[in-house]
Amino acid sequence: MPAKYVIHTKPVAHRFEPITRSGIIAWEEGCLKCPVCVKRQCVYGVYDHRHLDARQMIDSIDNQCMNCLRCVQSCPKELIHKSLNPEYKAIGDAHWTPDIISRLWYQAETGKIPVSGAGYNGPFSGPGFDSMWTDMSEIVRPTRDGIHGREYISTAVDLGRTPRHLLFTRQGDLEGHTPNVLGIPMPILMRLPGFGSISNETVLGWNLAARRLGTLMAVPLELINSGQVEFSRWSIPVITSHESDPGRGLQGAPMVEIPWGEEWKDYRDELTSVEASPLICDKIVLEKGAEEKVLRAVDGGASMIHLEGSMGGRFVDDHSRYIKDGIRSIHLRLVEEGVRDEITLLASGGIAMAEQVAKSVICGADAVFVDFAILIALECRMCRRCTEGLSCPVEIKDAAASWVAERVVNLLGAWHNQLLEVMGAMGIRDARRLRGESGRAMFFEELDRETFSSMGEIQEGCELE
Amino acid sequence: MTGEYRPTVALFYCQNIPQSSEDHRRVLEKKYGQSMRLFPIPCSGRLEPIHLLRALEEFAEAAYVVTCPEGACRYLEGNRRAMKRVQRTQDIISSIGLEKERVGIIIESSEAPEPLGQLAERLLERALKLAPSPVLKGAMTTKEHPSP
Ligand code: SF4
Ligand code: SF4
Repeated sequence: MPAKYVIHTKPVAHRFEPITRSGIIAWEEGCLKCPVCVKRQCVYGVYDHRHLDARQMIDSIDNQCMNCLRCVQSCPKELIHKSLNPEYKAIGDAHWTPDIISRLWYQAETGKIPVSGAGYNGPFSGPGFDSMWTDMSEIVRPTRDGIHGREYISTAVDLGRTPRHLLFTRQGDLEGHTPNVLGIPMPILMRLPGFGSISNETVLGWNLAARRLGTLMAVPLELINSGQVEFSRWSIPVITSHESDPGRGLQGAPMVEIPWGEEWKDYRDELTSVEASPLICDKIVLEKGAEEKVLRAVDGGASMIHLEGSMGGRFVDDHSRYIKDGIRSIHLRLVEEGVRDEITLLASGGIAMAEQVAKSVICGADAVFVDFAILIALECRMCRRCTEGLSCPVEIKDAAASWVAERVVNLLGAWHNQLLEVMGAMGIRDARRLRGESGRAMFFEELDRETFSSMGEIQEGCELE
Repeated sequence: MTGEYRPTVALFYCQNIPQSSEDHRRVLEKKYGQSMRLFPIPCSGRLEPIHLLRALEEFAEAAYVVTCPEGACRYLEGNRRAMKRVQRTQDIISSIGLEKERVGIIIESSEAPEPLGQLAERLLERALKLAPSPVLKGAMTTKEHPSP
């Protein structure tokens, strides 16, 4: 068995004070000057180490408070209050919620899995991935000695077409070409987010992280040629124009991405004929008719497809459909046609949590791309100011590459641990076996239908509350 | 210094004043760039003298606070406290020889509250009357952040 894949993480401080959910409001007026002030009794010493960050005007008492409410409850004049922070609610959007963003910040800073304390107080079910529950019935096993204990759980996956069988010559040698497959240690690839106040230094940091993690980072071809050559082995050049000569400037990248379409056929053929040609990943936008496109691509000899959803985790043209449904229906269709194993299915679009990686794989993806998550790891607030030409509040483009790399390694290290937890709890020891393993999940819509459809249709206007 | 003199104003404002949403703030930022630094605060009572002082110390020629109308504070007496704190800050800065006018408070009227944009315009003009701040002369305008 190969050595265990372990991602070593270490805490990496933030460069800016994070925006926290709540803040302290402490009045000074009316203070009784008690001999022992409740502020002195804070076990975390929050008031003693108080300072004000002048760049952001963020007071450290807001960020360091652990919400024990001791000072709030014991001030005899009730001069201390805890209030919700309006700036917190304002970050992100409906998909990249403040809670998701702050949990990503936490993971990038600590490299640890965020825990919510005893019990689960989230919603029972929700839209998108939240309407999918994974089967944790084997949860007793990995906890026996932890996810890094005796049990061997492999998160590695293969990219590229795996042959159905091998042919050997009489002499026992392999006949024909050795199949071109690429192994990555976990079902996570990285790609450039759609916006962000980034610089070459940031991309360099992401490349460093990809190299350290042993995974790949998708970047536009132009970027590889401008000084990132040493990382080409960990890069997926993304080609968007016919202009470039096929195969030129790839610098030994193991895989390239091109859009799928008739007009790319010649380019594609030329690319496959160059020596040591890279794996080709065809990008298909997740929209109406994507299913048929995928089937045609498989017919046309594609070995890898990248299904690109919207940054909000949905179909690009239909806000009411989620990528999980897109992946699932395409996967099932490929199974039906008997060609599922001839193709590697990669998915992207709004992947924001480790559980969504596992759920995407259960729905039928071989691996996923993460994009905005690796930007949020760098403290991005998803404010989109950069798209309006305004300054970035956290000055991401000035961050050093080494800091960028460490934050991303921490984030994906925490995600990898969560994958191990989930897989262990599901009794799955190999990520390749998790693909399409929908027996390990329950889908709310289906359960709802199975259980209640015999009771008749719900009439409009009399839904159960 | 000639006509090019562009003072930087730090503007702290209560989020209950008209046209003070994030979108409005961005419009103003685009219009004024670095010369108008806008800090929304949940309640003007949240502001302490230290906020104003740090702003004067680090980057601003003048620092102003805008509060909601008297009697309209969501936290009951936040704006009254803010008034006292601004006074205290004025005392502090005049004791070290700075003009009191570098710090100010604007209390919105309940009948005709002024939108944030108008206020910003008016306060920038007010700041123009001040001489360049002696505090900022030698100060670094962009502080290095602690490297990770
Ligand atoms: S609530 Fe608790 S942790 Fe927060 S400042 Fe008060 S005593 Fe300290
Ligand atoms: S924090 Fe805002 S400005 Fe900076 S990269 Fe993120 S979205 Fe863009």
